[in-house]
Amino acid sequence: MRSTPGLSAIVVTLVLSTTLDGSQKFDEPAPGARSPRNANYEIDVRLEPRDRMLHGREHIRWRNISANPTRELQFHLYWNAWRNAESTWLRERRLGGNTTTPRPDAWGWTDIRALRVTLDRSYDLGSHLRFIAPDDGNTADRTVASVSLPQPVPPNGMVDIDIEWSAKIPRPFARTGYIDDYYFFGQWFPKIGVLEDAGWNTHQFHSGTEFYSDYGVYDVRMTVPRGYIVGASGREVTSTDSSNGTVIHHYHGEDIHDFAWTTSPQFLVFTRTFTHPTLPQVQMRLLLRPDHAGQEARHFDAAAATLKYYGEWFGAYPYGNITIVDPAFQSGSGGMEYPTLFTAGTRWLAPASVLTPESVTIHEAGHQWWYGLVGSNEFEHAWMDEGINQFSEARADEAAFGTKNYLARRYFGGFIPWVFRDIPLKRQVDEGLAGYRAQAESDAEATPSFRYWPSTGGNITYFKTALWLHTLEKWLGWPTLQRAMSTYFDGWKFRHPEPADFFRTLNQTAGRDLTPFFDQVYRGSNTFDYGVQLLTSTPAGTGHFRTTVAVRRFGEATFPVDVLTTFSDGSKKTERWDGVERRVIYRYDTKVRARSVQVDPNRVLMLDVNYTNNSRTLQPRANEASLKWSLKWMTWLQDVLVTYAWLV
Amino acid sequence: MVGNAWRDGLRRVAAAPAVVVGIYFITLSAALPLALSLRDALQGNLESSLAAGEAADGVNYDWWQEFSSQATGIDTTFTPTIIGFATTLDSVSGLLDRRALSTPIVWALAIYLAAWVFITGGILDRYARGRRIGAYGFFAASVIFFFRFLRLGVAASIAYWFLFAYVHEWLFARWYGNVTRDIPIERTVFYWRVLMYAIFIALLAAVTVAFDYAKVRAVVEDRRSMAGALIAALRFIVRNPSRVMGLYAINVVLFLAVVAVWALINQGAGGAGVWMWTGVAVSQGYILLRLMVKLQVLASETALFQRSLAHWGYSAAPIAAKPEPPIVEIA
Repeated sequence: MRSTPGLSAIVVTLVLSTTLDGSQKFDEPAPGARSPRNANYEIDVRLEPRDRMLHGREHIRWRNISANPTRELQFHLYWNAWRNAESTWLRERRLGGNTTTPRPDAWGWTDIRALRVTLDRSYDLGSHLRFIAPDDGNTADRTVASVSLPQPVPPNGMVDIDIEWSAKIPRPFARTGYIDDYYFFGQWFPKIGVLEDAGWNTHQFHSGTEFYSDYGVYDVRMTVPRGYIVGASGREVTSTDSSNGTVIHHYHGEDIHDFAWTTSPQFLVFTRTFTHPTLPQVQMRLLLRPDHAGQEARHFDAAAATLKYYGEWFGAYPYGNITIVDPAFQSGSGGMEYPTLFTAGTRWLAPASVLTPESVTIHEAGHQWWYGLVGSNEFEHAWMDEGINQFSEARADEAAFGTKNYLARRYFGGFIPWVFRDIPLKRQVDEGLAGYRAQAESDAEATPSFRYWPSTGGNITYFKTALWLHTLEKWLGWPTLQRAMSTYFDGWKFRHPEPADFFRTLNQTAGRDLTPFFDQVYRGSNTFDYGVQLLTSTPAGTGHFRTTVAVRRFGEATFPVDVLTTFSDGSKKTERWDGVERRVIYRYDTKVRARSVQVDPNRVLMLDVNYTNNSRTLQPRANEASLKWSLKWMTWLQDVLVTYAWLV
Repeated sequence: MVGNAWRDGLRRVAAAPAVVVGIYFITLSAALPLALSLRDALQGNLESSLAAGEAADGVNYDWWQEFSSQATGIDTTFTPTIIGFATTLDSVSGLLDRRALSTPIVWALAIYLAAWVFITGGILDRYARGRRIGAYGFFAASVIFFFRFLRLGVAASIAYWFLFAYVHEWLFARWYGNVTRDIPIERTVFYWRVLMYAIFIALLAAVTVAFDYAKVRAVVEDRRSMAGALIAALRFIVRNPSRVMGLYAINVVLFLAVVAVWALINQGAGGAGVWMWTGVAVSQGYILLRLMVKLQVLASETALFQRSLAHWGYSAAPIAAKPEPPIVEIA
């Protein structure tokens, strides 16, 4: 059992991973494989739509790739997060502000009916199974189960596990469940945890974080009623009609660390092939809801853009097929990634000038790289997939669709979109700076993700990471950052990297020590805020002007910034300030008066929480701007007043 | 009858431009102080930053989001929804979706609605007579009917409170929630929501019409009992349902036409200088038209009532005449 990592544990982990270049001893790819393939599943599962139940049997062949023997096995039973109201998942959801009590038909659970483990011989260990709560000691939480073994599994040793289970399908929670005849199954089978050198890394299911598991081969047979269309991780091998009105869909996936599937009789099925001069061909399959007919090109274009740009920037997508699932309305299953399959997210009314569904598709398809292929621990380091992918997605959005992305708001219950043609969105600024700014100090990014405050963790995980990567892109240049990211991808695909592995790769590729930067953006929660404190430009006799510029560091975090002073004849002077002291003063004697000064004029430091104070001009236009916008606002208020006056 | 009443209404509104101008200035006065407060906040935030230039010439969304992240009070309502046609979408959907308003807006609204209650007596008196009654006559009628309409307003408030607190909850949270929770098709769910809106708007319209005609009867027939006026209004509506609904429908079409024109000609964010003032003129023209539609509803309802039960220009009460000052005796 891996204990809760404190600061010292993190430091030890970082040091170990830095010195050993990866903590696992036996995580080299298996012969003829891309990954270690140490957690292999054969699953038979039957869907019972009438009872909203799954009945399954699975055989797990698991190999201990850690450096130490283990005397226990641990399993995730994720659906037990909705077994009772006191599960850690539901407690955290309430902590995050969602106090809605699930309806009686919404609950879900997983019951293990039999568990046999084969070591030297077969042992029936079903009655030995016990629930543990390694993260918070919550005895009501049943999302992690442990079973002691009669004898240890040595390093590189193998064990066979047979499990029979039944599961009640929930109304959608955490992007899994059913609505009407639409089903989406994520985290649906008993899944073995990850054994690391430090012990089992099997976290409880938390409301704010996702998953972590080992790579393997999945061979899955899903029995569904005839007429139901199935999409799943991997590739369909066979589809067999049974005499009892069901069909068995047999899927096979290699070198993946999870398996998700969906089924519904309503899907429209489309396929398109992605081709590229230097990247492997990929068969794209889209399962589209009938009410979104006509949007297939938007999904395919976005998925193809991901395969192209992520492929060119980071490395090729190796699986040869990918399935895009358009989720049912109110299914709560949109925008989620699984190996070789992901759920998109669109609306019935989806304006062409707004990048939905494109951005969702690119984001989730992008997770094939950051999560699927590079298998970081989403419980502890969610930024390593979500944050890196948020940054990558923003670049791909822009590369594929240019500036065709405008702000939109929805009215009348959220159904009617209105596009603000005056507000094109920019990838660096408008992709989360507002969210990060509001929650910048809520948690240090190095805090294990599952311990983030539930309602603000997303802003750190997604947006802070994306912002510091945007900063690195502007600071180091895209070629350097791209080379670093592709090196990292290449070195850690089909493995489980730690944060230090990412930082080390960046340092090595950039050829400089970026540790002080990472200390601030990753290990700390201080904010960056540089601003102009003073700008004067006064006559100094004999046709000269004395200009004084004072620039101040208002935030605690430091970063080198440029200071650009522009004079009334258009001439400019740029200073480089290391940004360490609280203040720097520049004085110029010139023939013309200064017009303005800007700190960080090229907006390199995307994490600056107050950019308005970064500039000052001696020809201010705040009067015009405030008059214009307050008059606009007045019209809005008058509209509200007149609308309500209808009632009197 | 309905068409004639509607045209009558237009004529009466057009014949009393001072009423239109007056109600416009009341609307402006209710909004202006808060707008000035927001202007101070915006100016204080921008100061001498270069961000102001981009904000003046178009939209500086980067600055806008930064400002919003620090905003409190009415400043929190400074969102992109104030741009162009989104204003109307926001205010109408805000009302129908029962979205909470910020406290300063609620106060402005309360004062504004109280002003409407005050001057409605004068407006109806002017429209009922169909001729000039002078400022003294207008405000005398306003004062006379203010307390009566205040009593009527209490009854109306109870009706609206019931609609918004209970009927809305029942329609949108319970019925709509239960019937749509298992529907996986957005379009179908939307149609259900449209149905809820239709029912709720119909109920709101029914209450509005009932209290409108109560006010019309109170003024035209110089009624002192507001309960009597309300009962008489209901009697009139029940006896003339097609005329009342027909007239209301024509006025709704007029409202939609005004909104459509606004959707087409609004400026969006616009720039500074002359361009800004052009935008102000267009937007204030739209507000003026919205107010005229509201006045047209009152005027045409008055006309319909008079054509049905009285006669054109009939009003039971005499015009309040300004008394002569004592000085005239000395002279």
